[in-house]
Amino acid sequence: MSTLEHAPEGAVEVDPDEVVDRLGDRVIGRDEHVNAPAVIIRPDEVVDTLTVMRDEFGFDLLSCVTAEQFPDRYESIYHLKQYADPTTEFSIVVPTDRDHPQSQSAASVYETANWHEREAYDLIGIEYQDHPDLKRILLPDTWTGHPLTDDYNQDKPQVVAYEAHENPLLDHTEGAESDTILLNMGPHHPATHGVLHLKVTLDGEQVADVEPDIGYLHRCEEQMCQQGTYRHQIMPYPDRWDYASAGLINEWAYARAAEDLAEIEVPEYAQVIRTMGAELSRMAAHFLALGTFVLDVYGEFNALSMYAIRDREKVQKILEDLTGQRLMFNYLRLGGVAWDIPEPREEFFENVKKFTDEELPASMDEVHDLLTDNEIFQLRCVGTGVLEREVAKQYGAGGPVARASGIDTDLRRDDPYGIYDQLDWEVITDDAGDVYSRVLVRVREVEQSAKIVRQCVDLLEDWPEDEREIQSNVPRTLKPDPDRRVYRAVEGAKGELGIYIRADGTDKPGRFKIRSPCFCNLSTLPEMAEGEFIPDLIASLGSIDIILGEVDR
Amino acid sequence: MGLPVTPLETVLLPERIVDALGLEGYGVLGEFVAGLLAAFLVANIMLIMTAVAGPWAKRKIRARFTDAIAVNRVGPFGLLIIVADAVRLLSKEIIIPEGVDRPAWELAPIIVALSALLGFAVIPMGSGIHVADPEVGAVFVFAVASLSSVGLVMGGYASNNKYSMLGGLRAVAQNIAYEIPLILIAVSVVVFAGTLRMSEIVAVQAEPLILVAGIAIPSWFAIVNPFAFFLFLIANLAEVGRNPFDTPEAPNEIIAGYQTEYSGVYFVLFYLGEFIHIFLGGAIIATFFLGGPAGPVLPGFVWFLIKIWAIFLLTQWARSAVPRVRIDQLLDIGWKGLLVLSFLNLILTALIVGVIAA
Repeated sequence: MSTLEHAPEGAVEVDPDEVVDRLGDRVIGRDEHVNAPAVIIRPDEVVDTLTVMRDEFGFDLLSCVTAEQFPDRYESIYHLKQYADPTTEFSIVVPTDRDHPQSQSAASVYETANWHEREAYDLIGIEYQDHPDLKRILLPDTWTGHPLTDDYNQDKPQVVAYEAHENPLLDHTEGAESDTILLNMGPHHPATHGVLHLKVTLDGEQVADVEPDIGYLHRCEEQMCQQGTYRHQIMPYPDRWDYASAGLINEWAYARAAEDLAEIEVPEYAQVIRTMGAELSRMAAHFLALGTFVLDVYGEFNALSMYAIRDREKVQKILEDLTGQRLMFNYLRLGGVAWDIPEPREEFFENVKKFTDEELPASMDEVHDLLTDNEIFQLRCVGTGVLEREVAKQYGAGGPVARASGIDTDLRRDDPYGIYDQLDWEVITDDAGDVYSRVLVRVREVEQSAKIVRQCVDLLEDWPEDEREIQSNVPRTLKPDPDRRVYRAVEGAKGELGIYIRADGTDKPGRFKIRSPCFCNLSTLPEMAEGEFIPDLIASLGSIDIILGEVDR
Repeated sequence: MGLPVTPLETVLLPERIVDALGLEGYGVLGEFVAGLLAAFLVANIMLIMTAVAGPWAKRKIRARFTDAIAVNRVGPFGLLIIVADAVRLLSKEIIIPEGVDRPAWELAPIIVALSALLGFAVIPMGSGIHVADPEVGAVFVFAVASLSSVGLVMGGYASNNKYSMLGGLRAVAQNIAYEIPLILIAVSVVVFAGTLRMSEIVAVQAEPLILVAGIAIPSWFAIVNPFAFFLFLIANLAEVGRNPFDTPEAPNEIIAGYQTEYSGVYFVLFYLGEFIHIFLGGAIIATFFLGGPAGPVLPGFVWFLIKIWAIFLLTQWARSAVPRVRIDQLLDIGWKGLLVLSFLNLILTALIVGVIAA
């Protein structure tokens, strides 16, 4: 289905003036971001305002919460969207006092605000009142200061007394009477797919409570991007967010935001190459997700995980031919791509076609044989780790996790970029919301991606030789107008990967914020796993498909 | 005419050693020394097989299933990896965690390895390799094999680690749930054979069952009662803890279960115990269902090895292909499925045997 024919169901038309009228004296000002109209509201009216926005104007997705510090104030921006039509956007800006940065928490309206506000508190230092559990999320509890503020001293060492860490579990000892045990799963555990720590409270083998503890892989990506120039220095960083082969999609997320911010046009030919590259990345990422998930459910000596890695390797080879790199591609440029399809072109296209037309269908049959049709596998995965549709919306889930819960959302179709709207492909959804449907959606998406890649190859093959423009004319130094703000997202392998940039008149961003899909998806884990057995917790975690590099950034 | 059947060995290995070394004059002492030598020989055969299986064969077999290559750098076909791995494993540091319950913690791996080795004492391996043949051989082999559960729960409990604890408990729950069906199926064989003595169980299977195109098909219990054979194979997978029943270790769930805290030689002992257990499972299946060492042309002992390696291959195949079931599903399958079916099998066998006898 192409977007041109897609009429979003349940989308609500929103007129900014109407919103301002409805919100009345809660509004203290208006603004215009590049992507959406914005209203500025009083910091003690956040809950009321967002409740109105959600219930009356249909904004059921809180995409992102961005916090910023200015010389005279702090600001939290709530980026609102509608699942049914993500192009209907709205920004709620909440300024707070520079000396006492306090504003009302939105966690009671949108569950997803819980983690996002914790991050804002952690890095910027805004205190959200009535937040259910306002503590640091990326940095250790013992950290002093808020790193993204202007008065933070980066050179001062963070000295932590040994006593503070001597026995962090001392408070958790529950005595001999207790029926539950606290189990630390991770930071080093075979099934956490990286350095993730789950504090699991067990009642026998049953999970009574699970609390993800993240931040072990925090590498200050946002700050590094704020210190790089738009034109060249930022592009290598996105490869390092979702590093499991989804690099090109990440690069596109930055490229899309920056191109909209600086009003750069991208030649059609480059868009085709980008689309093909992004879908190859998605396939590689999904293969890896499948392989590691199979490890979690089958055990470590099984054939299917190796088959998935074998197929990923084929995609990886194609991406290597295209970009010259296996993992950290750094292939996209603002206004285009780094270089054209490698010569000899025919050979490259032959390779891609061989993969999509012959090898992939064969290995997909194998996957369906060994995995989705396997009865023991179904016994393990059907009906466990269920994420209900409305709950998924509350947590801002995206990508295959949301689509497996019956939410028909895909930014490639609903907020088209590249040439997705000219191609013939489908958005895969499933209603069950369990572990099985998440895996199934991912497997089917690989087939759809292959379809897209195939169509892109056809387009590229027939492209006239003198019209192969891979890069538009972009100034050597980009200085977008001060105070231009944009939030733009692409459909990452894991869901909505959004970038917020505020320009400050220099050649570097004033604020660079990454909305990570894994971050939101991981926050749904307690909803899936509580009340289930340990193996279901592991299967649920595997089916979310988290990349800790993207969760922690 | 018929299939050539290896004649049943009535002379046990210790007696042969007494003869060969001229120990007749030393009475009980001579028999004792001969028995020790026989046990040493059999144990070493098993240890060599484990050494081949663990570092080399297992990896090669798995590689075949998974489109991989596996060890091929050290020696021809990578065979010298066995030496390299042995040196590596034995030279690793033994880390003893704080608060472990010694000596239970140290005894656990020894019990696991020992219990599996003891079982081979009563297995007739053909070509005269048979250490002891008591009247209650079948009872003995199951009794010592289930001793390993004690080792597992000791290791799990003594390790002072929650993952080990969970693994130890899972191991016991699983072994109880699957040992009962295992033994009930074995009982059906015993009812059919009318004896608990291992050599006689093998002898009964040597009788020709039917003639097909001039070749006598022996009355192996796998052919007489394929249903029981199939059940036994499944229960055996659970007994040795391989997919789809490897929940006690389940590395992706509980790290490595009861063996999480073991390193160095203790870890080797646990692994050794596991592999010997798989071979013991194969040996039991060969003895009870596949005619023991019987087979054409080749010597009995070679046939015996072929049969237990075939069972080993089966466990590795299962490991490569099927998912792990959840612990509650595993217990459901054991108590509600296998137990009922094995009782059914036993009653039917008893009825048929009764009718034939009448």
